[in-house]
Amino acid sequence: MLRDLHVEFADANRAPRIVLDIPALEIAGGGQLAICGPSGSGKTTLLNVLAGIEHPRRGMVRWGGVELGAIRPRAADRWRRETLGLVFQQFHLFPGLSALDNVLLPFRFDRFAIDSANRDRASDLLERVSVPATRRVERLSRGEMQRVAVARALVKAPAVVLADEPTASLDRDTGVVVADLLLRMCREQHATLVVVTHDATLADRFDRQFALATPRPWRTAANAPVMP
Amino acid sequence: MNPIPLVVAEMRRNPLGCTAVVALIALTTACGVVVSAQERALRAASTHAAERFDLIVGAAGSPTQLVLTTVYLQPAQLDLLRADTLRQLADEPGVKSLAPVALADSYRGYAVVGTTASFAGAPGLADGRIFNHPDEAVVGADAQLRLGETFHPIHGTAAENVIENHQHAYGLTVVGRLERSGTPWDHAILVPIEALWTMHGGDANSGRAPAIVVKPRTVADAYELRTKYRAGGTVALFPAEVLLPLYSLLGDVRAMLGGMAVAFEVLLIFAVLLVIVAVLAGRKHGIGVLRALGAPPAFVVSTVWLEGALLIGLGIATGTLLGVALLQGTSAYVSSRTGLSVGASLGAPEFGLLAALFVGGSLLAGLPSLPLLWKPIAGLLRS
Repeated sequence: MLRDLHVEFADANRAPRIVLDIPALEIAGGGQLAICGPSGSGKTTLLNVLAGIEHPRRGMVRWGGVELGAIRPRAADRWRRETLGLVFQQFHLFPGLSALDNVLLPFRFDRFAIDSANRDRASDLLERVSVPATRRVERLSRGEMQRVAVARALVKAPAVVLADEPTASLDRDTGVVVADLLLRMCREQHATLVVVTHDATLADRFDRQFALATPRPWRTAANAPVMP
Repeated sequence: MNPIPLVVAEMRRNPLGCTAVVALIALTTACGVVVSAQERALRAASTHAAERFDLIVGAAGSPTQLVLTTVYLQPAQLDLLRADTLRQLADEPGVKSLAPVALADSYRGYAVVGTTASFAGAPGLADGRIFNHPDEAVVGADAQLRLGETFHPIHGTAAENVIENHQHAYGLTVVGRLERSGTPWDHAILVPIEALWTMHGGDANSGRAPAIVVKPRTVADAYELRTKYRAGGTVALFPAEVLLPLYSLLGDVRAMLGGMAVAFEVLLIFAVLLVIVAVLAGRKHGIGVLRALGAPPAFVVSTVWLEGALLIGLGIATGTLLGVALLQGTSAYVSSRTGLSVGASLGAPEFGLLAALFVGGSLLAGLPSLPLLWKPIAGLLRS
């Protein structure tokens, strides 16, 4: 499992602007963490860094035994598709494909044919999130789309699920449903869940929260800890 | 990996654009294929038509006109050979057989050609028998005259008849119909040359013809005869001597058209690539998502490459079918205009062109997506 997550410093921008300055952040395997903060506080950047799709100038991100900054891009790709489930604020589904095919997409990266066990798992997940499997995703409601995205994130039983504002583009009630599913299903599968959100009600449902401060655009101080 | 479902989904999202690209490739492919195949077929058919005419002897004049009139029955006023030329040729030891050929009259638009029974009957009889009397005639496979029908040829050729309509009193009866030969002779009415001699000036022209087709015994005899009858007011030639320069002219035109077709195809492939580049702008985001989900680079590229290759392949396949269909039409047209049966079909040169197009196009189709493999994922996701 994974442990020892350290984000000491992260700066995705070329300018000397400090987007994130986090001395340390650890999460136990199977834990659930909400990272919250107002918009512009670098939540998405932090999530991208955690996912290994953005790289910090300094500092280190380690998931279990894998240090993201130290592995080759190909290995990072493989790590993401084997270890990670991602949920985005804007769902990022592929229109033209059915809900089922969207959920099955991660399997197609490695294999030509999808075995029946995986197909059943995808169907079961869609049943869990109550979305008709054969319907094309562009014909689904926004809440259904995000539920498909949750199913896609979980289909390979990843060790880690990262979600970027999973409820922000949904209305309140729909957001609650999606949040319920995400929390419950990750717990059932013993997946570590990290969510970034500015939604306090969502953050409150997590056993741990981590707050990012308001943005400090032009301060260039190398070491200005914002977190206790 | 299996990018096919994603490719199908992408194509379903933009059916109109995909159809337009396929149609464009199909049309130019069809044109290139038709030009190439039609020219080859025309060349083969005209060579076939000249096969029976080993050596042609005529009065001194235009060799090209001699071949066009004798082989392809294009009407023209040719000077007549002297009567003793025919007798002299008949006595040559190197001559296996000979046949005078005279295109003088017409009937209902069909050329009336005077020759010998054995030369006329060479394609074989489909019906009836060969003429054996000066008032009998046989008709080519496409001449619409009934057996037993008696007709009066009109003086002069079909083209001249519009101006001067002067019917011979001489009547001829159709006694046979020839097998199809695939040459302009299928549209002719063949009569004994003696009949023409009777109709045209009687004794003064007897034994005279504008052309004599000679079948030499050996190749050496052929060259000897050709040399001998190139002097003394006569000309002797192999039809190929006239056809080859024509073919090279035809070939030049074809090479130019073919070159234009290839240039057009290359332009098209680039247009397709431009389309892919343009489409990629809209797919940057999707590619970012794929990479964020951990898709291997080969998968990402193949989603783009496969779509391009499919469109190009589909266009070329449709174009080939369209080309085959068009060839039926153009062949019929060329046949009706030349009297040659031009059965054009696709052959090795066309398939070579098609294969080169497909390979070239599909190799290039993946290129535009390569830069997106190195762009930062976060940037792609924001686009």
